[in-house]
Amino acid sequence: MAVAREPSILVVDDDPEMRALLLDVLRNEGYEVAEAKDGTEAVVALRARRFDVILMDKNMPGPSGLDLLPGFRRVCPGSQIIMMTAFGDVASYMEAAEKGAVEYLFKPFRMEEMKAAIAKALGRDVEAGT
Amino acid sequence: MIPGGGANRLGGWTVGLLRNVTTRLVILLMLALMVITGVYDYVRLIRERERLVDQTQEDQRIFAETLALAVSRNVRWGRTTAELKELLDDILARPGLVAVTIFDPDGQGVAQTVAPGSPIPTLDDAVRETLKSKEGASILAREGSGQLLRYVQPFRWPGGRTGALEVRQTLAEMEHEFRRAVREKVLSRLVVLALFVLSVIALTRWSIVRPIRALIAGARAVGRGDLTQRIEVRRRDEIGQLAEEFNRMAENLQAAHDELLQHGEERLRLEQEVQQAQKLAVVGMLAAEVAHEIGTPLNVISGRAEVLERVVLPDHAERRHLDVILKQAERIKGIIRALLDYTRPRRPNLRPQNIVPILGRVADLLLDRTRRRGAHIRLDLPLSLPKVLADADHLQQLFLNLLLNALDASPQGATVRVTTGSDPLLPAEERAGIVRGKLERPSLVIHILDAGKGMTAEELDRVFEPFFSTKGREHGTGLGLPIVEEIVRAHRAEIEMLSIPGRGTEAIVRLPLAGEDATTRESILQERAPGAGGHGN
Repeated sequence: MAVAREPSILVVDDDPEMRALLLDVLRNEGYEVAEAKDGTEAVVALRARRFDVILMDKNMPGPSGLDLLPGFRRVCPGSQIIMMTAFGDVASYMEAAEKGAVEYLFKPFRMEEMKAAIAKALGRDVEAGT
Repeated sequence: MIPGGGANRLGGWTVGLLRNVTTRLVILLMLALMVITGVYDYVRLIRERERLVDQTQEDQRIFAETLALAVSRNVRWGRTTAELKELLDDILARPGLVAVTIFDPDGQGVAQTVAPGSPIPTLDDAVRETLKSKEGASILAREGSGQLLRYVQPFRWPGGRTGALEVRQTLAEMEHEFRRAVREKVLSRLVVLALFVLSVIALTRWSIVRPIRALIAGARAVGRGDLTQRIEVRRRDEIGQLAEEFNRMAENLQAAHDELLQHGEERLRLEQEVQQAQKLAVVGMLAAEVAHEIGTPLNVISGRAEVLERVVLPDHAERRHLDVILKQAERIKGIIRALLDYTRPRRPNLRPQNIVPILGRVADLLLDRTRRRGAHIRLDLPLSLPKVLADADHLQQLFLNLLLNALDASPQGATVRVTTGSDPLLPAEERAGIVRGKLERPSLVIHILDAGKGMTAEELDRVFEPFFSTKGREHGTGLGLPIVEEIVRAHRAEIEMLSIPGRGTEAIVRLPLAGEDATTRESILQERAPGAGGHGN
């Protein structure tokens, strides 16, 4: 709403290939993207600046995405958090929803799905996908 | 005298029967009665014999007097000795008469007739006395085996003197009669006694032995395990009551047996169910692990293919390779989803549950293992605990896994304690701990404490990792606690593992209480501090 800048996204995932893929795709979409390989790096990144969207894996060594979620919500209430996890993990999904995640992606998900989720989180229409 | 021999002849079991007090008493009484009536009969017979002897004596006297008159007349008429003998010989035809002798006043035998085989009478004191006293005399003498009745009758001898006539008569006939009468009496008594004993035996056999045999047969059948056995005795006496009691006992036994059987079947079914659930949970755990491990690389593959899809357009010659990659990635996803769908535990069916019977069932299920290990599970729980909001099957599996761990850790003879209360049982200063799950409402706290070797803080940190186990390969899957964690999370409950090496491990399950609505959950959620450092690592 304020300045006309590209929305920023923080990708938090312990898998370098996954991070690389997401970074490629999201940058291609024109987003400003930063990455973190675990909770600690994510906290450092969040202290440095704010992100519109945090795309975070649930399963990570150290504090899990679910553990980090409430803290992130508190530290940067303006960030929309999208969780990723292995599919079928319904319990995590519910917990994440309660803890304030706006979207949930079950791996493996289609890039289109992810783009749609981000667009939704940013309050944009799904037209971003096409 | 009679009963012993008689009973023996009637068959072995009657001897046994004679041990029966009532039967013995009845037979003794009967014997006494027989003896009394026998004595009475004997006395009567003796009296009868005496009467007969008296009668015979009287007859003999009259006969002797009459004969004496005749002889006296003949003597006076001067009959010769030969003629007198002739007369006497005729008289000898009289029954029982054995000898008639005529003595002259000097005691000389004038004429005599003697039955063949009888001793010849001679002058004796009795005859002399009669000659002197001129009085008739009756004498009962013993002769050989029988009795001899003598009568000496004086009569007038010519010349004013006195002669004597002796008539001897044997009582053999009478004795014979008497003995026969005694024999008949004894025989008839014996017959009566035998009939009585027989009827007593028959009666007891019918009324006691038969039902008792039925009882014995019934008891044997029940002993063999045929609990359907009943006894048909329709009587109101003690035996009827006994049979009724026996039938009631058999009925109760059968009911108890059926119940036991049913309980056993129920337990078996439960065991199978739990085993099946456990297996499914393990496979589900594995599948989830696989899904998780495969999910990311698969996502990288399909994601990269999607990126290419935008460059290699549908009309491109090599586009089909990309389509195949995407389709195959979808296929793998489908396979994992199917596996997850199959193994994923159903969503918990949350209902208010009383936890005590669930714990009781689990302890019951583990009875065999408990015994094998020589350990005990002690449920230290009040009878009424507040209800928790939970799925009974899931809770069963949760406690089964925790108790299995506790039992496997327990040394021989140790006790696994299950109790409730807000504070941990292990002292705070030495213990290490790890928490999983998040509690969002007031809870019921269950502690499971074992006396095993405990775990170090490092081991404890890894207990919820799949395939981590301190038990060694032969025990468990290494998925027990991950399953517990999953169940706890699905219930919005909490599991805490505390341990002190060398002292034991305590599992604390905090289950949300039933009867609170979801809105309070939100407010509790808001108050939660971020970070949750107790989790993970």
